[in-house]
Order: sequence, then C-alpha cells, then structure tokens
Amino acid sequence: MGILRLLFSEPFFVVLLGGTLTASTPIILAAAGEDFVESGGVLNLGLEGMLLLGSFCAFIAALLTENIYLGLLAGMAAGVIVGLVFGYLVISLKVNQIVAGLGIEIFVVGLTSLLHRVLFGNTFPVVSEITSKTAVPFFSSLPYVSSIFNQHLVTYISWALLPIAWWVLYRTNFGLNVRAVGENPAAADAHGVNVYRTRYIALIFEGVLAGLGGAFLSICDLAFFVFHMTQGRGFIAIAIVMLAKRNPANLFYWAFLFGICHSLTFGLQILGLDVPREFILMLPYVAVIVLLCFLARNTRLPGAFCTPYERE
Amino acid sequence: MRQDSETAVGMRGIKKSFDGLSANNNIDFDLKRGEIHALLGENGAGKTTLMNILSGMYHPDEGEIFVKGKKVKIGSPHESLQLGIGMVYQHLTLVPTLTVLENILLGTNRKFLLPGKDAEGKVREISEKFGIEVDPKAEVWQLSAGEQERVEILKLFYRGSDVLILDEPTSVLTPVEVEGFFSVLKRMAEAGKSVIFITHKIEEAISVCRRVTVLRNGEKCGEVDLGDIDMGREALRLKERVVKMMFGETPPAKAVKQKPRKVSERTILTFDCVTAKNDRGVPALKDVSFSVIEGEVFGIAGVDGNGQKELAEVVSGQRKVDSGRIFLVDTDITNMPVRFNNDMGIFYVTDDRIEEGSVANFTVAENAIFRCYRDEPFARRKILLNMEQIKSYSEELIESYSIKAPGADTPVKTLSGGNIQKLVLAREFSQKAALLVCNKPTHGLDEMTVRYIRERIRRQSDRGVSVLLISSDLDELQEVCGRIGVLYRGEMIKILPGEGAAVGQIGRLMMGIID
Amino acid sequence: MGAEKIVRAAAGPVIAISVAVSLGGILLLIIGFNPFRTYYELFSLGMGTYLGVTESLKRMAPLLIMSAGLIIAFRSGIWNIGGNGQFLIGAVLAGGIAPLLMDRLPLFLFFAVLGCAGFIGGAAWVTIPAVLKAKYEINEIIVTLMMDFIAIYLTAYLVRYPLNAQPGLFPQTVLIPIEKRLPNIPLTEVHIGLIVGLIAVVFAHYLIKITTLGYEIRFSGESRKAALYAGVNIRKVVVIAMLLSGGFAGLAGANDVMGIKGAFQAEWNPGYAYSVIPLVFLSRLNGIAVIPLAYFFSFLSIGGEFMSRAAEVPVFFVQVIEALMLIFFGVSEQIRKRGGFSWGS
Repeated sequence: MGILRLLFSEPFFVVLLGGTLTASTPIILAAAGEDFVESGGVLNLGLEGMLLLGSFCAFIAALLTENIYLGLLAGMAAGVIVGLVFGYLVISLKVNQIVAGLGIEIFVVGLTSLLHRVLFGNTFPVVSEITSKTAVPFFSSLPYVSSIFNQHLVTYISWALLPIAWWVLYRTNFGLNVRAVGENPAAADAHGVNVYRTRYIALIFEGVLAGLGGAFLSICDLAFFVFHMTQGRGFIAIAIVMLAKRNPANLFYWAFLFGICHSLTFGLQILGLDVPREFILMLPYVAVIVLLCFLARNTRLPGAFCTPYERE
Repeated sequence: MRQDSETAVGMRGIKKSFDGLSANNNIDFDLKRGEIHALLGENGAGKTTLMNILSGMYHPDEGEIFVKGKKVKIGSPHESLQLGIGMVYQHLTLVPTLTVLENILLGTNRKFLLPGKDAEGKVREISEKFGIEVDPKAEVWQLSAGEQERVEILKLFYRGSDVLILDEPTSVLTPVEVEGFFSVLKRMAEAGKSVIFITHKIEEAISVCRRVTVLRNGEKCGEVDLGDIDMGREALRLKERVVKMMFGETPPAKAVKQKPRKVSERTILTFDCVTAKNDRGVPALKDVSFSVIEGEVFGIAGVDGNGQKELAEVVSGQRKVDSGRIFLVDTDITNMPVRFNNDMGIFYVTDDRIEEGSVANFTVAENAIFRCYRDEPFARRKILLNMEQIKSYSEELIESYSIKAPGADTPVKTLSGGNIQKLVLAREFSQKAALLVCNKPTHGLDEMTVRYIRERIRRQSDRGVSVLLISSDLDELQEVCGRIGVLYRGEMIKILPGEGAAVGQIGRLMMGIID
Repeated sequence: MGAEKIVRAAAGPVIAISVAVSLGGILLLIIGFNPFRTYYELFSLGMGTYLGVTESLKRMAPLLIMSAGLIIAFRSGIWNIGGNGQFLIGAVLAGGIAPLLMDRLPLFLFFAVLGCAGFIGGAAWVTIPAVLKAKYEINEIIVTLMMDFIAIYLTAYLVRYPLNAQPGLFPQTVLIPIEKRLPNIPLTEVHIGLIVGLIAVVFAHYLIKITTLGYEIRFSGESRKAALYAGVNIRKVVVIAMLLSGGFAGLAGANDVMGIKGAFQAEWNPGYAYSVIPLVFLSRLNGIAVIPLAYFFSFLSIGGEFMSRAAEVPVFFVQVIEALMLIFFGVSEQIRKRGGFSWGS
C-alpha cells in the first residue's frame, strides 16, 4: 500500500514520466526512420550502427566545439553517412540486406570503441555543457504532468516527427513512391519511379533521424560515450516497427513502453523495492519479446521486403 | 474509317536476341494515327519482345524507332511514357495495396504534394470520355482482373499517352467484358488514340483491328490491311491467309488422337462438395464435386485464376479445404499432408516449375529425389543418403526422359525451362503413382517437348494411372482427355465427354456461358 | 572437390580478406599508427611465438564449436544472431554445476556432464525464438538478439548472487582447480577443446551433406516454396536447426569454462559471435573450409589481444577488420553472381 502511494506521489511520478519521455526519444526517432525505410522494402539491421555512430560523432563534436547544436548536427551527418554506405551496399551492389546490416553494425561497434580508446585511453571524458531542458511556460508548472513539458528540444521534435512522417508517407508523392517501391518495385519502375533513388532518399531520411537519436543519447541524455552505449536500441526500434503495423501513432506507444522499462531502473530503487538491478535492466528486452508474441503474429510485410531490385 | 496518313510510330530493322537466341529478327512495323493494329502470332513469336522494345523495357540490339516521324532512342519505360507511348503488360503492374487513384498518380507528379481533388476530377473525366468505369477510391486488390485492366488503361490516358500497347488484354476478360472492351477501343481510336493489340487469337484480331501484322519465330511474315474488305465474303480466305502466315505453309498436323482405354470402372478420386480459399482468403473452390476413374485422363479446363491451382493443391495436400471431402478410392485424404498423399500414390506436377517444382541451386540429382529421399535405397535407415544410388537414379531419369543436362551433378539453374519441366515430370511420373495431378505441364514449351509430354501422359494412363490434367490449352485437353470438367469462378459448371466436345462449347463454358 | 573448384570458391573470401586488411591499414594510418608495423606485430605475436600459436589453437575451440551451430542454422535459412547469449548461458550452467560434481564424478564423466549441460543450456535459450519463428513466423533476428541482452543480465545476476563463490570479492563461480580442467592434447599445451571443435565442425559438415535431415535443412534454406511442395516439415526442420545451433553455442561456453577460465566470471563476454558470423560466411557455410579460416580468425584475435596489451592498437581493431571482411564478402558474392569474374567456365 505504501508502495502504491509512493508510486503515485507527485515527485516520483514526475521523475518517472520525465525519464520515460527522455528515454523513449531515441527509439521514436529511430523507429520513425526505420518505418519509412521498411515501407520502401528495405530492412536496415545497421540501424543500431547508425544510432551508435551518431552518438559517437555527436559526442566528439560537442566535446571539441562545446556547442551542443554542432554536436547534434554531427550526429545527423554520421547517420546519413551510414545510410549512404548501407544504401550503396544493398541498393547499388545488391548485397544481401541482412549480411550488410549486420556487418555495418559490428563494424560501427568496433570502430567507435576503437576510436574512443585511441583518443581517450581508459578515461571517459564528459561533455561540459549539456543542453538544458526547455520548459514550456505555464504547462511546466502543472502538477504531475509537468515533466511532459519540461523536455529537451529534441524530444519535442521527435513527437512532432511522427505525424510529419505519416503525412509524408501518405500525403505526398514521395511517400507514395516509397510505398509503391516497397510493394512492387517492378511496377513502380514501369511507372517511371526511380526505385534506387527513392530508397536512397528514404535511407538518408532515416540517417538524419537515427543520427539525431543517437546524438541525443550521448549529449543530451547522458554526457559521455560508453562502448556500445545504444545497447540494442536500434533492434528494439526495428521490433517496434514490426509491432506498429504502419501506423506511426503506435510507434509512440511502444517507444513509451520501452521508456518506462528503462526509467524503472532507478524508479524501483527509489521505491525501495529490492529487485536485483539486472532484472530491471532486462525488462525492455523481455517486453519486446512478449509484445511480439502477442501482436506480431503473421504480420504482413510489404511485398518486396528485403529483396534488392534489378531491372532486366 | 479514318484516312489519316500520319504515322504515329515506326520501327525499322529491329533485332533483339537473348543469350544467343534471336527473339526479333529484322522487323519493320508501323502504326498509323487513330488506328487499331493487331500484332498477331503464336506464343514465343516475338510479339511481346518487340513491344517491350517500343515501351522501353528492352533495348534493341539493332534497328531504329520513329515517333511522329522523328527518330528516337527509348532508354526506359519512363522515356517511352514521355514520348506518349504506354503499355499495358500481361502481368498487370498495379500495386495491390494502393488505391486506384494512387496507382494512377504514381510517378506522374514532379511536385512534392499529392494533387488532391483535381486529380480525382480529371480521372473521372477520362473515365466518362472513354466509358471506362471504375471507383478511384477502391484498393486495387479488391478489383477483378477486368477492372484492374481498365485502371491500367486509365493510368496511361492520365499521362497523356497517345499510343497504347495492349499485351493479350482479353486473356483475363469474360466474354461480356470483351465486348465492352472492344467498344472502348473503338472510342479511343475515334478520339485519335492509336492502339497496338498483341494477341494470338485470330478471331479477335480480325474483328476489331484495321491492320494485322503477323510474326512467326521472331520474323515478320506478313501484313494484312482489312480496310476495305467486305468481311462477309472474304472472311474465310482472309483467315486462311493469316493462318498460313502464323504457322507457315501447312499448320502443324494434329497428333493422332488415341482414346485411352479405361482399365477398370473403379473410382480413384472423389471430390465431394469441396470448398476452399485461395492465398488471399477469397473463396477459390465452391462446392466442387466430381470423380475420376482408374486409368482415366480427366481434364480440367478454365481460364487461369478460376480455381485450378487451388484444386491441384487441395489434392496434393498443400492446401486445406474449408468444407467437403476428398477420397482416394475409399480413404479420406481431406486435409492430409503432402507426405501422406505421396505415400498413397498421389503426385503433383506443378505449373510453377522454377519456384516450386525445383530448387535452382540444387543439382539435378538433388531435385530428382524430392519424393523419395527418405526411402530405401536412397536413404539408409532413413538417415544417411546413399549418394551412388541417388546419382544412378538421376542418370536413369535423364536418360529415359531425354533431359538435356551434362550430368546428375549439374545445378538445375543452368537447365532450360523445357528441361526443368521434363525433370519435374520425370520425378513425379516415375513414382509409384495412383493419381498424377498435372497443372499446365506443357505451358511455354516447344512443340517437340509438348508432344513428348502428352505421350508420357498417355502412357501413364495406359498403365492404369489416373491423370488429372489441368490446362488452358483446349487442343491439348481434347487430344488427351477422356472427360473434361470446366472450372469457372471456382465452380465445376459442367463435365463433358472428351469425344465430341466442340472446342467452341468448351470455350464458351470457360467464359461462364452455359448453353 | 577439384582443385579448380576450390580456387574458384576461395577467390571471393580471399579477396574480401585482402580488401578488409588493406582498409584496416588505411584506418590505422588515419588514427596515427603505422599499419605495416601493426600488422607485423599482429602476425608475429600471433603466429611467430610459441605462446601465440598455442593460444590461437586454444581460441579456435570456441570458434569452431560455434561455427558448427551457425552453419547448420544459416543453411536452413535461419538467422541465429544471439550466439553470444547462448554461449553465456551454457558457460554459466557449466560453471554453476561444476562445484557440485567436481569431486563426485570421474574426470571423463565430469566433462561429459558439463558439456551436455552447456549444450542443453544453449539449446534451451534458443527455444523461445525457435518456437516463435516456427509457430508465428516472428522474425528470429530480433528475438535472438533480445535474448542475447537478457542473457547478459541474467548471467550477471546469477554470478553476482546465487552462484557467487567469493562474495565481497570480484564475483565468479567456484574455481575449478587446474587438475580438473580439460586436459591438454598430448605433447602440446592446447586443451582438448580443439578436438571437440574439430569434431563438431566436421559433424556439422557431414550432417548437412549426407543425411536426410541435412538435405531437408538445405532444402528449407534454399526454397521454402519448393520444400513445402515436396512435403518437408519445415517447422520441424527449423526448430531442430535452431536447437542445434543454440546447443553448440552453449557447448562452446562450457568449453571455455572447463578449458580456459575454470569459472564463470562477472563481466566476461568474449563476444565470439561477432567473429563467428563473418567466419562462417567467409567459409561459405562449409564445415571443412571453416577450419583454416577459424585458425586465421583466432590468431587475428589473439594477436590483437597481445598487441593491445603491449599498449599499441586497441583490440577492437580486430573486430573492425572482421566486420569489413563480412561486408566485402557480401560484395564479392554479388560480383560473382553477376558474372563479374569468370574463371574460364
């Protein structure tokens, strides 16, 4: 009983909610990008690499320039580079998407760890100026929900991006092309749609978003870089895309759920519950499996999913 | 008839080969403005290849193309569309999950935003102008084949195509739809559009087209101008002329028809009110009932997509039925797995020889043992494969079925389509069968192989094996089958005795017309 | 296999390795190391010294054992990416059971039981992804990866609380004394895990090549449609293939505990899967070809470790090159398919 009261006490609730929204931000960004790309028929397992390289480059840039915005920009650029490389491999060279994606992921994990060790040895420098959260006037003083309106700029952007992504996919010509390319690239080609260019653009779009998400993680959320700090968030984002069934609203809910799991790490400790740390850390991954179990049975993937396109 | 002498499209000296085989050999072709021009020829004559060149899908090895008198190079379908040439392919190129409007708009817009109400208005305008009725908001997968074809045509008009190439457009239409389709074509021609009508059906070519160009074996054999001919008197002579062009001096002699002797009166296969769905969840078989006698070759006729594939799969064990029963003699084999049916003596020559009937990266030997790899002598104690036995068995099959393959170890992907089909046939036919299901076994093969396969079917029947022959080739059905059942929209609407069944009658039944 | 065939098959991997190594050299240059000196050190430490060779041969064992499993899985068309997690579960099981049986069983039986425990642990860990894939077609890449992370935390917990043999100090299970660890191959200082590895990989090779199950595995991996047509029970085949691959990964974990470390230590995650995945692809999923390549990979990683301890290039460099090898192998396969290289066919 005491726990429940504590759970719903204002300070705890505010902290938990705030932490959840912050934690879910990279996932929302990554998932939005991946949804786009998967609608175009490409499975990007290198998403984890996009996030991680974004984290690393953002961190380095922020450390060097002491400017958070340059850091975010660097992160986005890193994501785009990964997107282009991956795109070149699977679109132009038509390498198997799973092999290329895994290769890129392993590469980025190794590369970022390598570079960090080379640059900083065994120390873990910290970015001195973290972006502070932007408080929305009036709303941020409301009880209980104050933390919703007291988030980083990037978090607000990520919320806005979901309806924007939906709008681009369903109300613009480009989005139509993407969906057509994902279902039936041969038909799209016959209609004069440039299949290759469409997929490249989708990957660039994903690169920007994922890079931003990774950057957020290393310079807004935390303030340093740790080896493989994304800890599977890229794959969780892919799982979320499978759950969301092409509806961006759902992306938000699942990302939020992940955020809750993540912020429970410190939340439960505050409550004084004696649950071993490790089980809480496991939660996000267990949650993904449970959700897939119930909601992702026999999902309908786009017709041309994961196959490269080649004109006769 | 319009006497406009302006040429819409001209092709000179077109040559195209694939892997050393010539598909188009020095072909000249021209299309006048406002004309409906038929491109006539048997399967494999080169019609689709020639038109694919015009539509930008293929590049000619040699030759020139002229559009409205100007020489052009067409590098892609997109360029061809920009020149005003649009093609409706045999395999419709619509994206099923998008709406009609979205499919029409696909690739037309340079702008970022999708045009809203104006596009819909324009589409309705075009529909009315040419009498093409379709709902722009419907999702394409919900439409019938005929409606989908109309969407394809609408698409091309929306893009301002003046020249339309239609590849075998009537193959998916019912007779009523064909009538409506022809009247749409005539309205199009009157409005100044030019149409190239690819077909292998002489009757259609003659009834709606102004000129007919005949292709045979990749070459142009002749051109007939129907402009001022009085159709009544000259019709028969005209048809003969065209037939000569299509087939050479004498049409191929029809193989001597042998009536297979029935071994006994025992019923082998019984279908009792079988209902089943297809992969999309739509009912494909509705209350189908019939039976096949031992040693009989029972034909299933019908236009593609009327439930034939599902029928075959329900017998083979690859598909479940929703209701009804299937019996092999007295055993209930409804919904039994493939393995069980194989053990009972049911084998299936699939129509999809590339994706289903064989594995491209496997060797001939590995493909040959689909049905028997767990049995002695090919597997010792069901666990270890006996490589020598498998090899010698495959070599036997290669020998006795005249499969052109260097050896049992060659990967199947290097074999030609005809030889792959022979391999599939060899494999299924050499099992201990009670019933063989053959789905379009001679489709797309050359004359010799076709005869060979039909002979093999006859031999099986002579040996007392029943054959369920699914085919859209009426001549084949007539030649080989004892009885013929006609499938239309999933229902077995009539069963005819093979002897005395007129091709015309079967054809009408296939279109759903019950006399 | 004729000599010409071997050359043709090896061309792709050899080129991929060369390109990867060269790119790695360029990377070294960029971050301020001398590539020639680095590679020289890598090779000489890895291959040139007695210690290097011995350690490399020891490292081959887990790589080979895991390769056996992954070859079976990948051949059946299943992407088991969670090998690291399965490895850890097998290892923690072996480390946990060891103290109970250490003094009660004759040595040979002791090893056999721990090995089985490892195998069963790994297989058990892959059951959930296997069932979800077979029954509901749920993407096994995601599920095995999730299980990977769960395994890291689960084993971390197990070694910290229930199985901790030295509370207060760095957590680990009861240390198996040297005399109860895997013996060495006579005349060498390499433990018999290497033999187990060789047997495993040869077993996998012949399983795929000459058994009916192997035929069904290859069938399911090549063409699902055709396999269904032929009546293959794909679900059964997929589950078996996955269980085998998980089992082998777990066995590799038990092997490392029994042969090298003697206990399961906290924060120990060698991450072999990141090397084995490129490895089995480069060997074209062929069990025999894996053997020389596994040696190459293991000496790369041993050389890398020695090199990093000598305060030179960090050990992560090896992972970077291995990833590049995987990527360029993918590229070379595509070039080969498009007929870019014709070897006088």
